[in-house]
Amino acid sequence: MHPLVRWFHTLGSPPYFDRFAARWAPWGYGLGLLVMAWGLYSALFLVPADYQQKDSFRILYIHVPSAWMSLAVFALMALYAAIALVWRIKLCEILAMACAPIGAGFTVITLATGSIWGKPMWGTWWDWDPRLTTELILLFLYLGVIGLYNAIDDRRAAARAAALLAVVGVALLPVIRYSVVWWNSLHQGQTISLLGKSSMDASMMAPLIWMIVGTKLWFIGALLTRARADNLRREQGKAWVAELAGAATGGAK
Amino acid sequence: MEYQEYIIAAYAVFAIVLGWDFVAGRLQIRRELRLARSRAARSAARSQTSELSR
Repeated sequence: MHPLVRWFHTLGSPPYFDRFAARWAPWGYGLGLLVMAWGLYSALFLVPADYQQKDSFRILYIHVPSAWMSLAVFALMALYAAIALVWRIKLCEILAMACAPIGAGFTVITLATGSIWGKPMWGTWWDWDPRLTTELILLFLYLGVIGLYNAIDDRRAAARAAALLAVVGVALLPVIRYSVVWWNSLHQGQTISLLGKSSMDASMMAPLIWMIVGTKLWFIGALLTRARADNLRREQGKAWVAELAGAATGGAK
Repeated sequence: MEYQEYIIAAYAVFAIVLGWDFVAGRLQIRRELRLARSRAARSAARSQTSELSR
């Protein structure tokens, strides 16, 4: 068996996954925090103010990475959910369900920071614009997945029901992405392109890239932490969990 | 800095949500380990009781 495939099978073992997550989650958080700290410092103090929006454009450095994360996390959740539905891999169920609260958090940041930016720039906190409305629907989908997962006592049945919603909900992602193209929107069109030419000045790009990388690293830490918690919840009563809990008490002493 | 209050509010939202995300995950793990400890303690107490009754 290929070593990578063998490692993947080993990772599916709950005690092994617990050790893996406990080891790597602090690295995700730590590196994410460091990278984001540099990104935020650059965004607030190093980058020049925009000639039209003045300093309010600095909100973009948290709004855009969060918006990208809200979509990327949902796509990842749907992928894990599809794998869990087809192959019944328990770890994928856990990872899919761990994605939901993190993605919901990034969606809340996107909506709130967009609204805060909108007040001085558009003159309103909220508008039923296609981009804003579809992003709000995304938040409701995340809340639906979280609610469904917690509404059913049987963890595996709950995960399957929530996974189905995640897979169906993925159809919303292209609508959010292209909403500014398909409809006449108050929200600005695409200004940043990873592959093509961006309409944003190069001097303003570096903090955005730091923030995009930083939020990804943070997500790894958060995903491993939440997946570890759910893994422990599902494995309650197993000897390895009791042993770990005992060791944690011993460590606390 | 112009629009300072809006910038502070937006960055505060970012920090609060990520801070909640960090704390919530750790609290969940702590809760699960506490439940596992109390479950282990209950099962140990049960086995002691049944030994005495024999």
